Amino acid sequence: MTARRKTTKRRTKAYREFVSEAEEILERMRDDLSDLADRRGQGADVDPELVNRLFRSAHSLKGLSGMFGLDGVSELSHHLEDVLDGLRMGRTAVDERALGLLDESVALVAQTLEKLEEGEGAGLDEQAAELIARIDGWARAPKAEAAGEGELDLEPAMQRALTEYEEHRLRENVRRGRRIVVVEANFDILSFEEGLAELTAAVREVGEVLSTLPSPGETPEAQIRFSLLVATDFPPEGLAARLELAGGAVRPASRSAAAAAAARSEPAPGAADATAPAEAEAAPRPRAEELDAEAEPAGEADSLAGGDLASLKSISETVRVDIRKLDELMNLVGELVIQRSAIAKLARQLRQDAATARLGAELEKIHKGLERKLQELQAGVLEVRMVPLRQVFEKLSRVVRRLRRDTDKEVRLEIRGADTELDKLIVEELVDPLMHVVRNAFDHAIETAEERLAAGKPREGSIRLEAYQRGNDVVIEATDDGRGIDAEAVHRRAIERGVVDAGNHLSRREILDLVFAPGLSTRDEVTETSGRGVGMDVVRANITALGGVVDVASEPGRGTTVTMTLPITLAIIQALIVGVAGERFAIPLNSVRETLLVDPAEVQRSDGRELLNLRGEALPLRRLASEFSLGEALREQKQYAVVLGIGDARLGLLVDRLEGQQDVVIKPIQGPIRSVRGIAGATEVGDSGAVLVLDVSALVEDSRSREAREAPARRAP
Amino acid sequence: MSEPVETTRRGPRPGWDALARAALRRESQEDTALRREFVTFHLDGDSYALPIEAVREIVRLRPITPVPRVPAPIRGVISLRGEVVQVLDLRLRLGLPREEPTRATRVMVLHGDDGGVTGLLVDSVRDVLRIPEEQMRSDSGGDHEAVAALLVRGNEFVSLLDIDRVLDLEA
Amino acid sequence: MERAAPEGPGQEASVQSILVVEDSATMRSLIASTLEELGPGVKITEASSGFEALRLLPRGAFHLIVTDINMPDINGLELVSFVKKNPAYAAIPLIIVSTESSERDREKGIGLGADAYLVKPFEPEDLRGLARDLLHAREEA
Repeated sequence: MTARRKTTKRRTKAYREFVSEAEEILERMRDDLSDLADRRGQGADVDPELVNRLFRSAHSLKGLSGMFGLDGVSELSHHLEDVLDGLRMGRTAVDERALGLLDESVALVAQTLEKLEEGEGAGLDEQAAELIARIDGWARAPKAEAAGEGELDLEPAMQRALTEYEEHRLRENVRRGRRIVVVEANFDILSFEEGLAELTAAVREVGEVLSTLPSPGETPEAQIRFSLLVATDFPPEGLAARLELAGGAVRPASRSAAAAAAARSEPAPGAADATAPAEAEAAPRPRAEELDAEAEPAGEADSLAGGDLASLKSISETVRVDIRKLDELMNLVGELVIQRSAIAKLARQLRQDAATARLGAELEKIHKGLERKLQELQAGVLEVRMVPLRQVFEKLSRVVRRLRRDTDKEVRLEIRGADTELDKLIVEELVDPLMHVVRNAFDHAIETAEERLAAGKPREGSIRLEAYQRGNDVVIEATDDGRGIDAEAVHRRAIERGVVDAGNHLSRREILDLVFAPGLSTRDEVTETSGRGVGMDVVRANITALGGVVDVASEPGRGTTVTMTLPITLAIIQALIVGVAGERFAIPLNSVRETLLVDPAEVQRSDGRELLNLRGEALPLRRLASEFSLGEALREQKQYAVVLGIGDARLGLLVDRLEGQQDVVIKPIQGPIRSVRGIAGATEVGDSGAVLVLDVSALVEDSRSREAREAPARRAP
Repeated sequence: MSEPVETTRRGPRPGWDALARAALRRESQEDTALRREFVTFHLDGDSYALPIEAVREIVRLRPITPVPRVPAPIRGVISLRGEVVQVLDLRLRLGLPREEPTRATRVMVLHGDDGGVTGLLVDSVRDVLRIPEEQMRSDSGGDHEAVAALLVRGNEFVSLLDIDRVLDLEA
Repeated sequence: MERAAPEGPGQEASVQSILVVEDSATMRSLIASTLEELGPGVKITEASSGFEALRLLPRGAFHLIVTDINMPDINGLELVSFVKKNPAYAAIPLIIVSTESSERDREKGIGLGADAYLVKPFEPEDLRGLARDLLHAREEA
């Protein structure tokens, strides 16, 4: 594969754009190939859209590389494209060999691009030539019968604009006995994309969109009409009803198809036109649930088996929602909640004054009713935001399967509690850290088959992902039965890298926690010894950013468990308002274990830390004024200690005033500073402007790491 | 209608280097093209400007809640119809002495690239200036690296600020 | 929607507006650069999808359209069909760009009314030549 070594070319912007686009295309192809392999593995039908997408990717790659003189890449892409064209056109079947060839080709193209970037060109020509020869060999082998050519009796306008591929999909669907209909709608020219996307999505739930043809709308300057060619099992009038379009908007695509449908339907004597029974049934806007009632009389039950109907019904009961709309709703509910608090306050004030006491009592009664309804509303909106972890877990399954294929390591992924629900935004942020954790377990914790057998373990390693709800939190555990973490080695490394002092005595738990320390886990050498490799500091940062905590427990030789505890939702929370040095802060109440009035005399000082003896346990104290540099607090005054708890960790935060509890909506702080350690966001309390909301898990984390760092040598217990 | 023309080529393509260079040129031209309407305001007696598309709204000063652990020019956050927005004291950012706010003090609320919003604290806001491109001079060796160009207004110079530089507090 | 005709025979039209429809950013950039070299009066508008082209057409008063066939939402053929069916745009010359393998699609494009096609990879000068011819032919028509 000769590549032109024009270094000037490599540095031009256009070339860089090309490389960047090529990499995107390759990434997409890898994902799609992996999906394809998985579906085959599960015995599911091959998704034609997937294969078509792969084809289009190879097609683009070929065109682009050709334009830049990268003949070798272009050549290989050309063969890739041929294989994929054969697959999408149904000329060949998606079998192991095809998938293998595709995987290899994509990998080779990626490699070539890399080498070109690094300035090398040679070395891959042989590999490419060999691969191309193999592809040709496979292509020549006897194949499945191509679908018959057959007459497609479509309206000429639609027929002429169908690409070869679309024709193929049309024939395929006709062969399978599906109805071909045309769904038409007019849209405003300035906003058609949204409407069309909605219509297309709705149609896709019950059929395949074969082609989308635009034509001038009723008023050509302001409207566009779209005619969708659709393959479906629904009768046209049923489809129209379901899509909430006027009766005439859905019609059979061709007369032969209409006649065939009529012939299949029941003894409607001489009814050559399928539109006759349609008119008889077309009640004004029948709803989705009445669909079965419609289908039976027309005798078209053959295309709508009972099972299909049941699943179709459940589809019609779900609604797709934009998460931003949910956020808006959530905000509105939050504002309502704040208003309600203000009403409560007003009612109390009115009651205190004899002149208005009666009015006050009335208002309070109304307020109670309002509070109940608002709570229901709040719960309802929160529920809508909740999504099960299933999708994330499934994505992780795919990743493990791919890793298994790539590395030949035998590892099984078990999943439990995929139905456990979390706020959609949290779930989205969880994908990366979970991926990290699972990959690390796979790469570093699970031993090779030989090592495992030698250790008396089953040959196949296992990683178990389990999720469950615990109070206001959701817990996700990732457990492997691998080699466990070598605490000694971790401790040694930590000392070597200056993360901890040699003189410190650390409990086993503290040592294991070091796995999350930045500066420790970023080196590859540690991976052998720690059993967990790169990126655990990032995982902790991600989870902390979501308001959660992550811990690790491990037994050498037996395995390791990483536990992530997350709040169920971020949106509306109850908060404790506190005052420090003239400023107010809000503390999420679900992290507050208790509040205490502290006499300065009770505060013990030891090794530079301040502690409180709380029922026999030493509670570390931290002055919020010091934490945020808000000015020196007077140590002689009594202060309140807000005892914060995350998991098992405790911290007593010292503040000047406690100002009550309130429901608040945590809002993100917008502006050039992306994040502030210890601040989760802000909210409004009354009229006086924004109040900062504390990030309890960050404060507790910081306290823990400060303890490990600052404490000089302590004697062993 | 002319005959359809078909061209197929394999082999050396000498034109593409020139093409790629041309694409590069196009990009840089688009970058320096400046808009023509600006909001002008005052700081410490001098006139400044920002492109009008960048300014979402202008509000009166309201209570600022200080935020710990941020660089000094960030005075804190304000609450703006339900949004919480950081306020950057432009005086401090440009190295001018800090002053007490007056009745004329305003917060200019800017759009960010990512949809995020920032508030800019200024002494007062003047008006909207419309000038043709010829009257914009790029600033070379000016007072501050945050000044992108100089606009001419009568016999006065107005400093056009580079928003990205202004909001980049890591520099 | 037609732009003012040039002043007189032999005089260059003041602005030639070209619509480039292509979903690959790199490709689009290259086609645009190629066409810009036609001269100072040339103005290129880029659309990254068929849908975007549909939105831009009413505003643009274009003298030439260059479109890819292989695009995700509506393919190039569907775009050609739309343009040629709409009296407001039917007179605009149209060049299809496609890869070698899609010969049948190319034929369909011509059948739908496209004026010319180019096969990728192509010489920049070929695109410019075609564009020049079609733009001039239109002026003289």
